[in-house]
Amino acid sequence: MGDASSGASAGAAPPYRPYRLVRTVSPHSRAVSCVKFSPPDGRLLASASLDKTIAVLCSSTLATLATLRGHSEGISDIAFSSDASYLASASDDCTVRLWVLKSLPSPPNSNSSKSRGSSEDRCVRTLRGHASYVFCVNFNAQSNLLVSGSFDCTIRMWDVVSGRCIRDIKAHDAPVTALHFVRDASMIVSASHDGSCKVWDAATGLCLKTLIEPGKSPVAVSFAKFSPNGKFVLVATLDDTLRLCNLANGKSLKVYTGHMNRVYCITSTFSVTNGKYIVSGSEDNCVYIWDLQGKNVLQKLEGHNDTVISVSCHPTLNKIASAGLNNDRTIKIWVQDA
Amino acid sequence: MNVPIIDPLQGDFPEIIEDFLQYGSMKCIAFNSCGTLLAAGCSDGNCIIWDFETRGISRKLRDSATISPITSVCWSKHGHRLLVSATDKSLTLWDVKKCEKISRITLQQTALHARLDPGALEPTICLACPLSSAPLLVDISNGSSTSLPVSVSQEGNNYTVATNPRKFSDGSTPFTPTAATFDWSGEVICVGNSKGEILIVGTKTSKVYAIIPVPGGAVIKDIVFSRSGLYVLTNSNDRVIRLFENLLPHHNTINELETIDSSNNNTNNNVEEYDIVDKLKTNGTKCMKYLREFQDVVTKIQWKTPCFSGDDEWILGASASKGEHKLYIWERLGHLVKILEGPKEAIIDLVWHPERPIVVSVSVTGTAYVWAKDYVENWSAFAPDFKELEENEEYIEKEDEFDINPREDEKEKEEVIDEDAEVDIDNSEDTSILKASNGSYGELRYLAAVPSPEQSEQQDKYPASPIKLEESNNSASPFDMDVVANGHASSPMEGSEFFFAEEDGGTSLKRKRKPSAKGMEMQAEKDKKPVIKNPKSSSLSKISKPRTKYEFDSDQDDEFTDGFVF
Repeated sequence: MGDASSGASAGAAPPYRPYRLVRTVSPHSRAVSCVKFSPPDGRLLASASLDKTIAVLCSSTLATLATLRGHSEGISDIAFSSDASYLASASDDCTVRLWVLKSLPSPPNSNSSKSRGSSEDRCVRTLRGHASYVFCVNFNAQSNLLVSGSFDCTIRMWDVVSGRCIRDIKAHDAPVTALHFVRDASMIVSASHDGSCKVWDAATGLCLKTLIEPGKSPVAVSFAKFSPNGKFVLVATLDDTLRLCNLANGKSLKVYTGHMNRVYCITSTFSVTNGKYIVSGSEDNCVYIWDLQGKNVLQKLEGHNDTVISVSCHPTLNKIASAGLNNDRTIKIWVQDA
Repeated sequence: MNVPIIDPLQGDFPEIIEDFLQYGSMKCIAFNSCGTLLAAGCSDGNCIIWDFETRGISRKLRDSATISPITSVCWSKHGHRLLVSATDKSLTLWDVKKCEKISRITLQQTALHARLDPGALEPTICLACPLSSAPLLVDISNGSSTSLPVSVSQEGNNYTVATNPRKFSDGSTPFTPTAATFDWSGEVICVGNSKGEILIVGTKTSKVYAIIPVPGGAVIKDIVFSRSGLYVLTNSNDRVIRLFENLLPHHNTINELETIDSSNNNTNNNVEEYDIVDKLKTNGTKCMKYLREFQDVVTKIQWKTPCFSGDDEWILGASASKGEHKLYIWERLGHLVKILEGPKEAIIDLVWHPERPIVVSVSVTGTAYVWAKDYVENWSAFAPDFKELEENEEYIEKEDEFDINPREDEKEKEEVIDEDAEVDIDNSEDTSILKASNGSYGELRYLAAVPSPEQSEQQDKYPASPIKLEESNNSASPFDMDVVANGHASSPMEGSEFFFAEEDGGTSLKRKRKPSAKGMEMQAEKDKKPVIKNPKSSSLSKISKPRTKYEFDSDQDDEFTDGFVF
């Protein structure tokens, strides 16, 4: 590929240190659909599952701090508010729920029965309005807005305080698979199975831009996310490809391949804590780590027994969490050796 | 951040009422410096802070001691504090984040306007403009106050700096409120008096540094600085809004004024009976420069609450006539560009959003109307390879239009992107600008959103306010889409098998689509309108779109034939 050289040149920084598996937990009885570290400090780790529950774990001890029950169907996505005091979840029961995470039990005293008892009270709001499965959800940076995407092809924006639906955008021609606010919350990127990625003005709800790979028949977009500085969008398509697109001109700058992604909406992410990597799950049961600049696969993390559907990078530590589907049902924590 | 990809032709000034805010009866409003929060004072003494992004109520500042209508609200520099004046003659200073009252004092008279010192981060000094006496500088922490001079006159060799406008028998009514405002830095105060003069007064010294006579010489009702501090508007009783350029520097304003003052002294040292008023007027020419006036020469209406747009490009004035809701927008260079007309309710307050082309006007009924641009969908946003043209263009065929080989080469060339170029995903050069322009350390941009609990909401939310308010709030805006519990929570799609199929059992794209397609079809039937616009995307749309279209067509036909028969 000739990428090794550029990877090395980008690494005037120390050479790549591999990640290794440190812990495995199985808080769920069915496939895990999403795993996320909490902002801003990564204190919590939350996972959503088809077993209709959300597990909130202490990210260091991996003790279960709370199990959030209330959805009547499986959960596809979760999102933390920016101070991690609230959690939103998107479920196949067509609702979005808001959960309060304040005053979680401290890990050593965590009593599983107790936390279960309080779990019902943690749901502060149920947001109803989507006509089909809610597939993705996200907060803006101020956490006063919540955006949700659904199989009904719409994007809805919700007022977090009142639970009112502020805006209902007929956004796509197929299920909306991912939504992400840019850093300053002025724009939202949406991904859809219709093969397009659209950028929306958060204040007016107008479409600002459509990102389509030109000259090709559209391939379903399974995931999209803004880069930390908001200039690029990482786009995953169901042809085993991840692209880094320039928002200004819509052109893809970097293409990351090697993994398998044909079926699921696998999440990928930027790792910025030590070197710049792209991290993604894969349908060959591995977690892939690419060099952001060189596009070469730096490491394949093996250990899951089913598709790795979701990955999340710790915001400050060199730590990755990954979650597997039904044959696996585990959350694995990987750390980079010091 | 979205500025680079927003169409530059859109933006500028508002055109239509986009939304309205209703809670009780609002009297006065003010945006915080970044326009994310809108404070509103109500007639029952409450102060509401709207989250302007969600257009929902973020906080309620309620003081049991204040039940009288609020006359003005003013944010501190970084939005941490809010000053509220009410008709019970009180001034209340609030800590916005904690929702706590910092202090409250009662003046001799009701302040029509109260402004916080814009130079201080935690201001306690405020400027109050009472109904019928000179503006006061009040230290709200201890209640001490100083009257500001409103006029300088010459009686023989003595000159008097008067604080009471009643002394002057120049035809002005004694109950004329005096306009006063801080400049950008808070170092000086501009006082507009009943003789049609602007006095530049030092905030700390109360010394009059300069006088700027306003053409027309009519009573000055308002003085407004633009957001950048470069321009000043006056609104006079002679139905004219006048624009001045502020020549004073943003920083060390007082030093500059002292320099101007002393240089004048030097040149005129030998003249003993040098007219002090003339001297101050000479100083005045170095402080502000008269640019132009704005008025409606036909209707000659009185103006109310003129203001600048956030970027100083536009000037907004409201008609003060009863029973009309008219906003005039001028270019700063003088041209009238738009007259906006709202419901037949008089305007009582008006603000321009500091960063967006949005205006909020409060009507006499207590409702706040949000004026925004009538955004036109930019269709090229949906198709990246299309370009929108302003007008038709004649297509000129290229020489090699139908040549195969050279074109292909060219195409390939176009598409080559240096994939090895370094990309910076982390740093963003605009952060610094963003922070600097907002002056931003410690800026209170947002209040934490606290979701109100669902069940108890109806009972707990407004325990003290009358039921009427509750209702009005619940029907907050025309954009308020009722969160319809449309029964889909227990929809036929329920059932564990589905989810097995969906996520576990190899969720192929097709499989995923199928249930959703059904759902959409149901929805489409309910709404009787096509959810899907693009017929090529899925099998469903192929079914649903032609059908709805057919229905539409047949309806049309019926009407048409009916018309013909008659």
